[in-house]
Amino acid sequence: MAEAKGLSESDIRALCDTVMRLSQADHCRVNVESGWRGYTRVATNRITSAGGADRTAITITSVFGKRVASISTNSIEGQALEAAVRQSESMARLAPESPEYMPELGPQSFMPNQGYYDSTGELEPLTRAEAAAIAIQQAEAAGQIAASYMDVRAGTSAVATSAGLFGAHAGTGVAYTLTSRTRDGLQSGWAGDEANDWNQIESQRVAVDAVRKCRNWRKTPLEPGQYTAILEPTAVGMLMLRMRNAFNQRLADEGRSYFSRTGGGNRLGEQLFDDRVTLLSDPAYGDAEVAPFTDEGQAREPTTWVSSGRLTNLSRPRFWADQLGESPLPGPGNFIMAGGDDSLDEMIASTERGVLITRFWYIRGLNPRSISYTGLTRDGTFLIENGRISRPVTNFRFNQSLVEMLQNVEMLGPSVRVAASENSSVSTPIVVPTLKVSNFNLSSISDAI
Amino acid sequence: MAAGAGILLPAPPAAAQSMSSTERELLALAMDAARSAGADYADGRVIRTQFEAVGAREQMITQVQSTDSYGLNIRALVGGSWGFAATQDFSRDAVTRTAQEAVAIARANNEVAPSTTVLAPVDSFPNADWVTPHSIDPFTIPIEDKAALLLRVNEEALRVNNIRFASTSILSVKEERLLATTEGSVVRQTLMRINPSINITAISPDGSDFQTRSAVVEPAGRGYEYVMGLELAANAQGWAEEAAMKLDAPGVEPGKWDLVLHPSNLWLTIHENIGHPTELDRALGFEANYAGTSFIYPPEDVIGKLRMGPEFLQFEGNRTEFGGCATTGWDDEGVPAESWPIIKDGLFVDYQTTREQAAWISQYTGIERSHGCSYGQNWESMPFQRMPNVSMLPGEANLSENDVIAATERGILIEGRGSYSIDQQRYNIQFGGQVFWEIRNGRKFQMLRDVAYVGRTPEFWNSLDVIGGAQTYYLGASFGDAKGQPIQVNAVSHGCPISLFRDIDIINTA
Repeated sequence: MAEAKGLSESDIRALCDTVMRLSQADHCRVNVESGWRGYTRVATNRITSAGGADRTAITITSVFGKRVASISTNSIEGQALEAAVRQSESMARLAPESPEYMPELGPQSFMPNQGYYDSTGELEPLTRAEAAAIAIQQAEAAGQIAASYMDVRAGTSAVATSAGLFGAHAGTGVAYTLTSRTRDGLQSGWAGDEANDWNQIESQRVAVDAVRKCRNWRKTPLEPGQYTAILEPTAVGMLMLRMRNAFNQRLADEGRSYFSRTGGGNRLGEQLFDDRVTLLSDPAYGDAEVAPFTDEGQAREPTTWVSSGRLTNLSRPRFWADQLGESPLPGPGNFIMAGGDDSLDEMIASTERGVLITRFWYIRGLNPRSISYTGLTRDGTFLIENGRISRPVTNFRFNQSLVEMLQNVEMLGPSVRVAASENSSVSTPIVVPTLKVSNFNLSSISDAI
Repeated sequence: MAAGAGILLPAPPAAAQSMSSTERELLALAMDAARSAGADYADGRVIRTQFEAVGAREQMITQVQSTDSYGLNIRALVGGSWGFAATQDFSRDAVTRTAQEAVAIARANNEVAPSTTVLAPVDSFPNADWVTPHSIDPFTIPIEDKAALLLRVNEEALRVNNIRFASTSILSVKEERLLATTEGSVVRQTLMRINPSINITAISPDGSDFQTRSAVVEPAGRGYEYVMGLELAANAQGWAEEAAMKLDAPGVEPGKWDLVLHPSNLWLTIHENIGHPTELDRALGFEANYAGTSFIYPPEDVIGKLRMGPEFLQFEGNRTEFGGCATTGWDDEGVPAESWPIIKDGLFVDYQTTREQAAWISQYTGIERSHGCSYGQNWESMPFQRMPNVSMLPGEANLSENDVIAATERGILIEGRGSYSIDQQRYNIQFGGQVFWEIRNGRKFQMLRDVAYVGRTPEFWNSLDVIGGAQTYYLGASFGDAKGQPIQVNAVSHGCPISLFRDIDIINTA
C-alpha cells in the first residue's frame, strides 16, 4: 500500500505532540487535516479547469477552566505554529466561560477501518482527463454537450487531546458526475457515481447513462399533483442527506423537531415510518468508510437510528447526555438506508401511472416539525404509464414531508453509494436504494431543462 | 442613483496592508517559471484569508474560533486551455514547481481537448493598492467585547414572553491578496467583510409549536463600525416580539395577492432570479453540471431584446458600491472595478463577464473589455466568473415605504429572507420570508404566517407596478453564494427599494 497523501500518521502525531508541549492551557485539543485534492472539470465539451493542491491545516483548541477558543491555520512550521498556540490561548483567556464545555476526552478505543484506497490516492491527472475524454466523446457522438466534474481527495484526519487521546484515520474519496445536454438546450440527462475506491467508479457507465437520459425526445407537460414516484438512488440520497440531520435528541427534547413529543420529551421507541425503513450509520461500511471518531475524539460506532420503521436512537452531544444522565451518542457519520430486492424494472412494470426522478436541485427546508423540504427535479424526469416509461416530462417543484415519504414506501431496490451533494463534491457517504413511494407531492411545473 | 451605488471609491492608504516584498518576489518568480515552462499567459496570487467567529446561545458563549489560511496559486494558459496549481509551501523551489505544474496541467488539457481562449484587453497596473473603506478593523475589537454584545442581545431577546432560545454570532473576514500577471500588473488589496447574525426562537406554552425570527440584519463589506451602528441590543426585543407574534398569527390564505417586498426580502430574490441568470458562464453552459444554466439565453436573442420588466426597471452590476460584499478595487485578473447596466429601461442589455468571456458577446454588446467579475475564494481556488453586486435602482418618484403600502388594497408585506428555492435555469421561484403583514386598504392590518410566493421569473418581474425611492434603498447581502466545481463561495450584495408586485401566487407552507 502506498503512503497516504499528506503528512504521515507519525508526522501528524509528532505535530500534535509539539502543540501539546507548547501548550500552556489547562487543556488542549488538536485536530489535523492533511492531504491532497485534485479535480477536472468539463463544460461545452472541453476541459475548462483542472488542478490540485496539497493542504495541511491544524485546529488548536485551548481551554482555561471553561473558557474555550480555537484557531485554525495552515502555517504549521516552527514559530508560526507556536504563534498559533499562543493566539488560541490568548483568545481563550478573553472568552467568557462556556457552561456547556465538557472536559477533554482521555484515550479512547476506536475500531479502525480501511478507508484509504491506493486506487484513489494514486490517481493521476491524466486518468481524470481520460475519464473526461470518454464523456466528451460519448456526448459528441450523440450530438450532445457534456459538462462533468471529477473530485478526488486523499489524506488523513486526526485528533489529539492533552488528556492523552490520539486517533488518526486515512481516507480517500472520489466523485464523478456528468450532465449531457442537447445542443438546442431542450433535453438534459445526468448520471454520477461516488466511492472511496476509484475502482468502483464506473466512468463508462456514467457517460452512457447521462447521454441515454438526454435522448432527444421533446419534453411534454404533465399536470402538477401527487404522483407515485420512483426515486433513483441519487434522488433518495439527496433527501437522506437532509434527513440525516434530524436525529438530534436535544432539538427533540427542546420542542424543535419532528421527533419532539407534544407536552415534552421525544418520540424514541415510536413506530414512525413504514416497517421496511431502516436507517443506520456504520463507520466501517464498505466503500463508505468514515473516521471512527468525531472531532472531539468520541468513538463512532455502528448505530441504528430507525429500525423497521421504529425510532431507536437520537444523537446526544456530551453535554446533553450529561444533563440527562445518559451516555453520549455522536450524530451520524455516514448514513445508510437498508435496501430491498426490487429492481428498477420491476418498479416501473408495477406502476400504472407515475414519475421517474433522476435527481433534485436546490433543496431547502420548509418545516422542521414535519421534516418537509422543497426543491426541483432535474436532468431526467420521465412519465411512467402502464408499466413503461412513456415520455420525458417537464421538471417539477416538490413540496414534501420526508416523514410522509418514508411512510409511503411501496418498493425498495438494493442500496448503493451515491453522489448526494448538489455540487457533486465528495461528501458524507450516503448509501441508499431506489425507492418507489406513493403520493409524492409535485407541486408546480418548472420550465427549466 | 442609490446610496453609493455606482460610485468608484478612492483608494485608501496602502499602509494598512501587509503583503511584503518577499511575496512580490515569489510571484515574480512564479510568473517567470510559468513563462519559461511555455505558458502563453499566467497570473498568480498570494492570498491570506482570516476568519474570526464569535457565537453565543442564550447566556453562554458557544464559539470563539479563528481561521488563518495562507498560500499561493498560479493559473496558466497554454493554447486555449487553463491549468491551475496551488501550494502552501513558500520556498522558491516549491513556487517554481507549482508554476510548472500549472503549465503542465494546462498543456495536458489542451492536448486532450484543444480549445481557443481570447483574453480581453486590460490596462497594466504595476503598483496598485486598495483597501475596503472602514473606520475600525474588526480584528482589532477584543473578543470579549464581541461576546459581551452578543450576550446582551440574547438577554434582551429572552425578556420577551415565549422566547426560549436566542443564538447570535459575529463573523469577521479579512482577505489580504496580492495579484501578479505576466502582463505586468501587481495589485495588492485588503478586503474586509462582517456578518452579524441573530436567530430568535419562540415556543408556544404547550410546546406544540415554535417560530423563529432571523435574518434581521445584513452582512456588509465594511468595518466594525457597521456593527456598532446597528444597535443590535436596542432592537433585539422588537425582533423577539415578532417571533412571539408569529405563534398566534393566522396562516395565510393561499391564492393571488399583491405583494409588497421589503428590500430585506427582495434583495435575495434579485440575487436568485436577476443575479444568477445574468452570469455569462452559466448562460453558455459552463455550470450545466452544478449551478445550472440560464433562461436568459442565447445571447444574440436576448441582449437588448428580452423584456425583463416595466420601463422603470433598472439594474446595475457593480463592484464599486459602498458597503457591498463584492466591492473591490480590482478583480482577480487585474481588471479595475466598475459599474454597468444589466437591465436598462426594463430590457436585458448585458451579462457579468471576465476577460475570457468578454469576447464571447462583444459583437452583441459592443463592449470589448471585461466587467471585472473574476474571483477565487482563497489561495486553493482557481478564479472564475463570480457575481458582482447586482442592484436595482430606486424610483425617480421617490416614494416612501408608506406610499407603497398605501398603493396596496389587499396585499402582503414581506420582510426578511426565508426559505428560498429556484430551479437551475431560474424560472420557477418559491421564496419565503421572516415577517408577513397583511395589508388591507393601504395599511398594515395583521401579522400572517407560513407565507411563500411562487411563480415564474419573467412574469414575476413584469408584474412589478410601484417602486420606492432612494429613501427606501437598502443593501442586503450573502456570504454564501455558491458556484463552481470545486464549489467556491462568494460574498455579494444587492441593493433595492421597496417594491409592489401585483397578483402573485401565494402558498401556505405549513
